[in-house]
Amino acid sequence: MHEASLVRSLLRQVTELLVENGGDSVVAIRVEMGPLSGVERPLVEIAFAEQVESTPCRGAELQVEEVPLSAVCRDCSNEFDVERFRFACPACESARVQVTSGEDFRLLDIEIRQKQPEAAAKDI
Amino acid sequence: MSDTTKTIAVNRDVKAELRRQAEEMRQEFARKGTLIVNILSSPGAGKTALLEATAKHWGDDRKMAVLVGDLATDRDAQRLAPFCPVEQLTTGGACHLEIPLVKEGLAKFGRGDFDFLFIENVGNLVCPASHDLAEHLRVVVLSVTEGDDKPGKYPKMFRTSQAMLVSKSDLLPHVPFSVPSAIEDARQIQPELSAFSVCSLTGEGIADWCEFLEDHRDSLIAEQAAAISAVQ
Repeated sequence: MHEASLVRSLLRQVTELLVENGGDSVVAIRVEMGPLSGVERPLVEIAFAEQVESTPCRGAELQVEEVPLSAVCRDCSNEFDVERFRFACPACESARVQVTSGEDFRLLDIEIRQKQPEAAAKDI
Repeated sequence: MSDTTKTIAVNRDVKAELRRQAEEMRQEFARKGTLIVNILSSPGAGKTALLEATAKHWGDDRKMAVLVGDLATDRDAQRLAPFCPVEQLTTGGACHLEIPLVKEGLAKFGRGDFDFLFIENVGNLVCPASHDLAEHLRVVVLSVTEGDDKPGKYPKMFRTSQAMLVSKSDLLPHVPFSVPSAIEDARQIQPELSAFSVCSLTGEGIADWCEFLEDHRDSLIAEQAAAISAVQ
């Protein structure tokens, strides 16, 4: 169960992005995971719920995008979804395949809120 | 209408910074001619026994050191201490090693130059698979008492390894384990996986394993020499 430490790292990175971009709060955090990401969605969601309220990201919604395990064959360029973790190319049976999605736990984007001074709001 | 929201695109792996640190360390050790080997398995598969047998096989011919990770105790470090420099990393409950702890352990070796640096990971076939520890070679040890169906059940571990050692081969007559089946199952996941059978107690297969390691170190050194001459 290493999801807790990964979520801690995720929230630290989002907090840095919040400060760098001059935001006041985080509305949403969108992440991507797949079958070979090495994280379990329910465990990530539990870890997030446990940790988020004690960070500057409090109130943020975690949005999880699940992607298939996809690969491209280096020999015949066939792009395919890997079924049951069998990595040979289904077209030419080559073992030389490159995974293109589904093995990372990625931070895709964040939505942040900025409070506008009343005067600035009137100018718009 | 006093608030505005905006989306900040990021699109990076959550472990990107840890991976960067690992890559930096991998290159540093490649320049020194030290092959880093990350050894992973379930608890009790024989990682420590393998390292004892490896150290005995080489004797003074090769300089090796071991960083050994456990949740608690320094029992593995005590076992290995008669054979080579060893540092125990205690994770305090965490199920895997991460690069910052590995760096701390390395600092304790001082400026020792080794031919091989082994990282004996916490016994666990799940979480350690997700963590790059700057290794040049990742090896998974599968003992025959665990069953030949394990590779398919732990795909990330086998997918990210370059070699599989089937350990405790002396017990093969007593357990229903097929070495060819285990290798076939693992190669469905990682077609380029090297595979060996070893028995650390009898020494069977240890010479082949050590030769495999030496070949990898030779390749690492040759790559470094080629990179240097390409620059000049």
